[in-house]
Amino acid sequence: MRAHWTMTPAWWPLRWGLSSRIVALSLLLLLLVQAAVFSVVRISIEQSARRQVAQELQVGERVWRRLLDQNAQQLRQGAGLLAADFGFRAAVNSGDTATISSALENNGARIGATITGLVDTRLALSALGEADDAVELRPILGELVGPLSRDAQSSQVALVGGIPHQFVLVPMKAPMLVGYLLMGFPINQKLVDDMRAISDMHLALLSDDGGERGRVVVTTLSPEALQMLKQSGSDVAELPDHGDTLIARSVKLDTGATGSVRTLLMRSLNEVVAPFRQAQVALAWITAMGVVLFGIGSVFAARRVTTPLRSLVGATQQLGQGQYDVPMEHLDRHDEIGGLAKAFDQMRINIGAQQAEIRRLAYWDRLTGLPNRARFREALQREIDSQGAVAGSGRGNISVVMLDLDRFKHVNDVLGYSFGDLLLVAVSRRLTQQDLRDGDMVARLGGDEFAVLLSLSDANSALAVAERIAKSFEMPLVIDDQTVDLSAGIGVACWPMHADDADTLLSRAEVAMYAAKSRTTGIQLYDPVLDSSSALTLSLLTELRQAIDHDELRLFLQPKVRLSDDAVVGAEALVRWQHPVRGLVPPLEFIPFAEQTGFVRQLTLWMFDRAARMSRELHAQGFALRLSINLSTRDMLDIELPSRLEEILQRHAADATAFCLEITESAIMDDPQRAQATLDKLSQRGFTLSIDDFGTGYSSLAYLKRLPVDELKIDKSFVMNMQADDDDEKIVRSTIDLAHNLGLTVVAEGVENGVILEQLRALACDEAQGYFLSKPMPAEALVPWCRRRHADA
Amino acid sequence: MIVRIVIFGVLALAMARAMAATVQVQVHDNNGKPLADAVVFLESREARALTKPLQGAEMAQKAKVFDPTVLVVPVGTAVVFPNRDTVRHHVYSFSPAKSFELKLYSGVPANPVVFDKAGIAVLGCNIHDAMAAWVVVVETPFFGRSGATGAVAIQAIPAGAYRLRVWHPSLAVGAAAIDQALVVGAADVSAVVRLAGASAP
Repeated sequence: MRAHWTMTPAWWPLRWGLSSRIVALSLLLLLLVQAAVFSVVRISIEQSARRQVAQELQVGERVWRRLLDQNAQQLRQGAGLLAADFGFRAAVNSGDTATISSALENNGARIGATITGLVDTRLALSALGEADDAVELRPILGELVGPLSRDAQSSQVALVGGIPHQFVLVPMKAPMLVGYLLMGFPINQKLVDDMRAISDMHLALLSDDGGERGRVVVTTLSPEALQMLKQSGSDVAELPDHGDTLIARSVKLDTGATGSVRTLLMRSLNEVVAPFRQAQVALAWITAMGVVLFGIGSVFAARRVTTPLRSLVGATQQLGQGQYDVPMEHLDRHDEIGGLAKAFDQMRINIGAQQAEIRRLAYWDRLTGLPNRARFREALQREIDSQGAVAGSGRGNISVVMLDLDRFKHVNDVLGYSFGDLLLVAVSRRLTQQDLRDGDMVARLGGDEFAVLLSLSDANSALAVAERIAKSFEMPLVIDDQTVDLSAGIGVACWPMHADDADTLLSRAEVAMYAAKSRTTGIQLYDPVLDSSSALTLSLLTELRQAIDHDELRLFLQPKVRLSDDAVVGAEALVRWQHPVRGLVPPLEFIPFAEQTGFVRQLTLWMFDRAARMSRELHAQGFALRLSINLSTRDMLDIELPSRLEEILQRHAADATAFCLEITESAIMDDPQRAQATLDKLSQRGFTLSIDDFGTGYSSLAYLKRLPVDELKIDKSFVMNMQADDDDEKIVRSTIDLAHNLGLTVVAEGVENGVILEQLRALACDEAQGYFLSKPMPAEALVPWCRRRHADA
Repeated sequence: MIVRIVIFGVLALAMARAMAATVQVQVHDNNGKPLADAVVFLESREARALTKPLQGAEMAQKAKVFDPTVLVVPVGTAVVFPNRDTVRHHVYSFSPAKSFELKLYSGVPANPVVFDKAGIAVLGCNIHDAMAAWVVVVETPFFGRSGATGAVAIQAIPAGAYRLRVWHPSLAVGAAAIDQALVVGAADVSAVVRLAGASAP
């Protein structure tokens, strides 16, 4: 936590959202504007303050002069009163110089005049106060008295003894004008203090005389500022003073023979700016408030944009999660947000519709309108989950009935795909017409494969449903004036008896279904034995593999005898399993299993390999026997079969014509096109081809005609019964006739006695095979058997 | 000071010693206007010998004004200063001709002021600054004061050589009367005096 804090300040937004950016930009712009206003205000304050100071200094000069005038007025009044004083007048008119001087001194002192003189009517100095020095006064007397006598209200400032004095002249009357009283008053601290009090200005009274320029006589400046003034010289326009600036204006009061007197008026810039500073502070406050209000305002404004955006983002995220039923917010807005929301909402509706269509395509079969495999599987899984959640004995069973139409490919091939489609629809109708309960489901898993989900149904009730279905199929379908017999392999599997989950249950039902088809039993309940993927099957498969590896399989041969001359012309190759523990395992116990698991292909190759080797031995010993090897359905579907056989032939330097390949009808009919292709190749190679178990399947002779077949092998069920059953005898007879008419050789199996043999011989059957002639024997026993038979004959 | 004297008429030299003549003086101010209250007197050694104080000379104060404003008296004349106002007056003069002071009084002061020196005494009142009067003390019996028309007639002037003196209050303080020679014979003499520096009110 601490490390995080040090890396990124907490207040710093990790991600600048739109809202933050809007607010930051607004505030930045506002601050820029305010900064500009501030600087303009500051500059104009400075300028206007200086202007104001300059004006104030102008006014100050007038005030100062006015103050001097008023002072002079007061002095004049005082002097006037003095001049009118009878005693004073009497003394002055006494004619005694000493008395006059004394009276001037004394009376002048009364009103604060330091210089008192008497001037006659011709403006000549006639007497001075006792303490006054005529030498100093006399040079400036003319300058003083002339203007003063001309203007009774005026005053004059002059330096006397280095000190500025303000002089006034008042007439002396007795009662007529007899002379003038000249009085000089030093300009003192009180006067400049008064000025400072009136005008808020600082004053410095400067004297410029011959010896010294800018001598400060009196001032209101602080000692520090005075020091600064002395350093800067008396002609400064601005004087720094403790962070303040004093703007100065020089006011000339008088220039006389003894020097000139100036007043330096100084105004503090800060004092003038102070009220503006308050305005600036107010402006700063307004700015701060403005920033806050603006910030709040833009936050709200931004929220007004970003909040709906956020909710739209949330809504689109919901869309992304597949929730299409919640309408967008802000649809009623008429701004861009509203437009966006409407566009999103339209998108939601469209996507929802498309999604529904996709789901329909994904979960429903278009042809039949039934749920498809995916939906069926989901429903099954859901059912299993809900039942699995129920504990103990209350748990119900779930069954799956799976069915696959027989010969549907054939129907498609013969009657066309559109007919096949109609057939599928009709089948789906039959299935849905079954008495199903809620929670049950009929689905088309694909092709001609259908399934029924039966919830709360155990194996028995499921088998009952399967029976009903099978029964409903007994009624032929009429489609487009064509009557079609329906039949199907039906497999049943139950949960939890046969599988723990939906996929396994489906595959188990499928296994049962294929078992039903291959055994033509109609309906088959799942049995682990059936299942190549069950544990039992796996162990059997392993053992069978080991059987090849450990050479536990044995090649057996059953001879075929030509009926025309009783010569042994061939033998059928059969396999026996010499199990190390179980002994000799009969073929029925592992061949069907091998066919189911596909292991039969290895078996076939093994057989052919051994048969090829055997064939060479037989030929070597002078027995040109043709060996027959059975091919399974799986073999027929293996497109590599011809090349594998060819490889074995080459290995043993054997000839294909020495072999007959026996194929059952059903092996061909499972996929007639591929079967024909394979058969064509094998025939071209020179193999003799034989139809095994003929008569049990549904193949028509018309179809067989197209195949490159050389031989028919009549199923032993007919042959064994032909002695007792006339029908079977007729079948055998007509089959022989038919085959001969098609140019095929006929082989009869299941010849168990001499009567049958003779019957067959009478029917012109070509070859015979059976227990009466010989049981299957180990391959190595064939040559002795042949020799023995030859010898017997 | 420039004085231009124009003499009109004919001097009757034959009657000069035996008979007295009248001197007629017309006084004008700087602008040529007739000047009232101008003091005109004729001085000569003979005249000074004939000088004797005037009896009953009076400078009254009435309505806070001296009456008359200008009083001409021969040397040695005692002038009474009767106060005819209800307020008191403090009459004074700092003039060298006669410096005196009559401290606050009402009615007629007991002692008249004797003007024993020729010259001009300017009188004022210490209480009322606006009050001013002049006492012109002359050493001759031949003197007069111009009336509103600015004309003065001095009668019974013996023939002889005189100094014609003319003075007016509007002249500068301390200024002396203008001085002009005038010979008086048996016949009357007329003179016109233009008093530069003076002005009629």
